[in-house]
Amino acid sequence: MRKGFRVVPIFLLMGFLASTALAGEPTEAIQKTTDKIIAIVTDPALKGPAKSEEKAKLIRQAVDERFDWEEMSRRTLARHWQDRTDAQKKEFMVLFAELLEATYLDKVEGYSGEKVIYEGERSDGEYAVVAVKIVTQKETEIPVKYRMKKIKNEWRVYDISITGVSLINNYRKQFNSIITRSSFDSLMEKLEAKVKREE
Amino acid sequence: MKKFDLELAVGVFMILGIVCLGYLSIKLGKMEVLGGEGYEIQAVFSNSGGLKAGSSVVIAGVEVGRVKEVALEDYRARVVLHLPSHLKIQEDAIASVKTKGLIGEKYLEITPGGADKIIPPEGRIRDTQSPVDLEELISSYVFGKL
Repeated sequence: MRKGFRVVPIFLLMGFLASTALAGEPTEAIQKTTDKIIAIVTDPALKGPAKSEEKAKLIRQAVDERFDWEEMSRRTLARHWQDRTDAQKKEFMVLFAELLEATYLDKVEGYSGEKVIYEGERSDGEYAVVAVKIVTQKETEIPVKYRMKKIKNEWRVYDISITGVSLINNYRKQFNSIITRSSFDSLMEKLEAKVKREE
Repeated sequence: MKKFDLELAVGVFMILGIVCLGYLSIKLGKMEVLGGEGYEIQAVFSNSGGLKAGSSVVIAGVEVGRVKEVALEDYRARVVLHLPSHLKIQEDAIASVKTKGLIGEKYLEITPGGADKIIPPEGRIRDTQSPVDLEELISSYVFGKL
């Protein structure tokens, strides 16, 4: 009898721990943004080419809420970030965000009922990794990991890995090689050209 | 008298040989223990892809240190790196496991970051990238085609 009483709280505690480990604040944050974007993309009122501008704007807003462009830009430019003036940093942040938008927006808009499965998270103080699996209609699974940091009490994304390849690491290497080969200005020119082409 | 000279020469030769062997084994085997200056940091990977103790740690293609230990921790691979003390690794550096060539040996590459904060000795590289599994890529491609 007494033993049974002692076991119950332990189970309760374990259940509590398990639930916090599975869906903590970072996962909730990702889930909120994902649901929001899916709602925008599947909204019948926003269908058609006439509304595409408005749709893109709404998606951009939802993404901006969750992604920390400054942190991402700083991590992408890495060593070269400190050498830049404030104006250059700002200019780069805007361009980098535009580049990602131009590259990925049509992929988001091409949403066709993919399922998003939350596979848990690992947090360590102000940092967290949220693992997500995207299942396409052909049952292909794409593992995605969001790396997040708590900034001003809000969980913000600073890196995404898709099938194990980090976005920041990819651009960090490319930008580093462009800057060391030529200059920061030529990187900005290339970025501008690329953004224009994608649009 | 002549016999004594011969024995002496053989003895000296033997001792020289043993010294050489000792030097070689230290040089080859315990490089990092003798060059003990430096510090250790950790990186945790979801998959170490066959990284071994002794694998090289590389920044921009230059070998800067060695992997000291690879161990399982909470079903993930914890890799301990030994780096020279003059080398500073920023907090936002990214560690990734790479392969030399297509089927070559594995090594660990660090892409330096831009943060002001430096990882202290016994600290940990937070952002890691496991090796891309070719087999998985091919299979997802194959099944994706179905």
